[in-house]
Amino acid sequence: MFKTLRKTLVISAIAVSAQAMAALNTPAFADYPDSKPIEVIVGYSAGGGTDVLARVVGKYLEQELGNDARVVIKNQPGAGGQIGFTSVARAKADGYTLGTFNLPAAMALTYDRKAAYDANSFDYLANVVHDPNTLVVSQTSPYHSLKELIQAAKEKPGSVGMALASLGGNDHFSALLLAAAADTEFNLFPFSGASMARTALLGGHVAAGTMALSQTIGFEDELRVLAVLDDKRSSFAPDVPTAKEQGYDVEMGSYRGFVAPHGLPEKVKTRLVTAFKALADNKKLRDELAAQGNTLDIITGDDYRQLNDAQSDVARKLWESHPWK
Amino acid sequence: MYGNLIDALPSVLSMGNLLAVIVGVVAGICVGALPGLSATMAISVLIPFTFGMDPLVALGMMAGIYNGAMYGGSIPAVLLRIPGTPAAVATSFDGYPMAQQGRGGYALQVAVVSSALGGIVSALVLMLLAPPLAKVTLLFGPTEIFWVAVFGMSAIVFLLGGDVIKGLISAAFGVFVSLVGADTITGAERYTFGHLELLDGINIVVLLVGLYALPPAIGLLEEIRDFDTENTGRLNTTSIWKAIPGMLKYWKTWVRSSIIGVFVGILPGAGGSMAAFLSYNEARRASKNPDDWGKGEPEGVAASETSNNADTAAALIPALTLGIPGTAVAAVMLGGLLIHGLQPGPMLFRDNPEIVFGFMWQFLFAAILLIFLGGALATNSFAQVLRLPRPLLGAIIISLVFIGVYSINGRMFDVYLMLGFGLIGYFMDKLKFPLPPVVLGLILGGFAEQNLRLALRIGGGNWDILASSPTAKVLIGMILLVILSPLFSRLMRARKAKRVAE
Repeated sequence: MFKTLRKTLVISAIAVSAQAMAALNTPAFADYPDSKPIEVIVGYSAGGGTDVLARVVGKYLEQELGNDARVVIKNQPGAGGQIGFTSVARAKADGYTLGTFNLPAAMALTYDRKAAYDANSFDYLANVVHDPNTLVVSQTSPYHSLKELIQAAKEKPGSVGMALASLGGNDHFSALLLAAAADTEFNLFPFSGASMARTALLGGHVAAGTMALSQTIGFEDELRVLAVLDDKRSSFAPDVPTAKEQGYDVEMGSYRGFVAPHGLPEKVKTRLVTAFKALADNKKLRDELAAQGNTLDIITGDDYRQLNDAQSDVARKLWESHPWK
Repeated sequence: MYGNLIDALPSVLSMGNLLAVIVGVVAGICVGALPGLSATMAISVLIPFTFGMDPLVALGMMAGIYNGAMYGGSIPAVLLRIPGTPAAVATSFDGYPMAQQGRGGYALQVAVVSSALGGIVSALVLMLLAPPLAKVTLLFGPTEIFWVAVFGMSAIVFLLGGDVIKGLISAAFGVFVSLVGADTITGAERYTFGHLELLDGINIVVLLVGLYALPPAIGLLEEIRDFDTENTGRLNTTSIWKAIPGMLKYWKTWVRSSIIGVFVGILPGAGGSMAAFLSYNEARRASKNPDDWGKGEPEGVAASETSNNADTAAALIPALTLGIPGTAVAAVMLGGLLIHGLQPGPMLFRDNPEIVFGFMWQFLFAAILLIFLGGALATNSFAQVLRLPRPLLGAIIISLVFIGVYSINGRMFDVYLMLGFGLIGYFMDKLKFPLPPVVLGLILGGFAEQNLRLALRIGGGNWDILASSPTAKVLIGMILLVILSPLFSRLMRARKAKRVAE
């Protein structure tokens, strides 16, 4: 009897799912999002850079999605974002749980420690901001170009100290990549956070630092940015040459975007990606982010996935050549 | 620049902005007074709402919460020996004995006046001296911060209690807890046992609540008898305005503790709890009757409360000018500024003077409001809490700390961790191990270690770097003075006694 019951259940389940599939093209499913709030998991504390970004973008995303969509932020800080990334990867792929995603950090974590997710655990919605790294010295420093700094490092390997926000992030990778491109070595000093690294630099306790461009904004009178590690100059610092212009082919920076658990219904994914794409032309969002020192850089769907894989590759190679723990 | 200060005043005095500060102070006192809930948490909750608010309304509430909570933490510290915030630990040393002697009301009045004074000094320093003091912050690199931490450690001597060995074991336990997590310099994971939740270290609130709030709360549950409202229920208070003249004799402590609070505030990465410990210690060292301390000396309450509030606005100096979130609260506040497109840094003062200077005024008003709101609230309302049946009070505290600890990172792991610390705290209590050294060890242990190693790394492994800068030399001199002066004075006394005997 139970067998028949189970059979009936299976059959009815198939019937229901068939109906659901048929319903895919009807307005019922196109109504995503319905009244249920869309939760965005942020792997960092409230008030941090990624948190503020998520809240700002969330506000505009609500407008793009229409239907009185509600975006709520849920902070799950810890382990350099890993707790948040993991919980996104494990969430139900129904479009009501999204997460912020930081590159290269999120992928670097999967190499230097055990992680419960990998690149395939997510559906890639959109990168939103790109913040290139820079090479910075204090205004009182004797170095006026990347060449001079590298010359000094080459004369006495390890003599040039480099302040970093932390190990295993874009600051660290910038220093490693630059050292490799210039065939020299820097003495790396991981501080606890970008602002501590910047303060040590301002106070003359360390010679140089690799920090994100946004961290240098507002400190133009105190800091001298020697190079932007990007393929083109930044609109925030149009006078600063790229590393490439100075003969060192290095690109590194931090990317912040949004992902969903892998396996979103196609409709939902399209809806979300379309909404993010539309944000690219949103001038108000662009200005709001610029006031916070961030450049809007929308990269969606498959292109975002490719960006992820490329960043992941860079992190993996660095981990293999310079394991940091 | 001072012109900007005056220009910012009218908008601060507008109805809405002033109301925001008042609401903030009241909310801050309540949050601070509830064990397990902190200013950081209250401001984090506020963050999502600040989007729709005028920047000064949002910032005014934050300034109010920050100041209110720093004082609010002293209320349960005095009445129940449960510090509401980490910075109120030192307040409980003398505040609780005072309450037991029936002078709890006076202790709270000393706390509120001292908090307000510390806050006012701090706000004035922020308003008038922020740019020059930011230069002082820059003098402190890893080497110098290491020495400050060592200086702070010297306070441990006074916290050990009767049994030196037990005191040192407690301190070592605190240092051990501070080492849990990923080492920032090598990335090595220490004592994390594969738990991601431990990778960033153990939040001080988790430890504090476990050690300080749980065992007394369990103790309350053990008392079947209803609370004796005859004796301890009354706080024996006079009007705060009548009490103030009697407090004027603490002026030296107020001045000293304000300076210490401001100094710790401008240090990169040091917080209010360190300020309170340092200032308690210095006040006791300067006191004529050091043996009375820890047994109900009002000056101890004054020292601790002045400096933890003197730290608040001063901590914003490195936060606003250099973007260093010295405390968890300052970090969340920076987020609040960022939401309104206000990037910390030297440019902030030039680009958005009306908001930055308005924010500073709000700190000043919040500190002044403390006397009015804190005095009335604490002595009239919060003290009534003591009249609750004790098991009920215990149950309320336990549910509050569960909520508070859960909300720090939104996970049960921290709650379990807190329960573990609660168990340890319960046994420490029964076996007479002192708790303050644990807190000091946790605050300073890892802090000193990371900075020492970073300094040595910058110096290429050469220990000379530790004494290379003038700032470091001054600090070493101060530490030697503090350690050697009791020895020296004892030696002098012995020689004198010998001469007299001859």
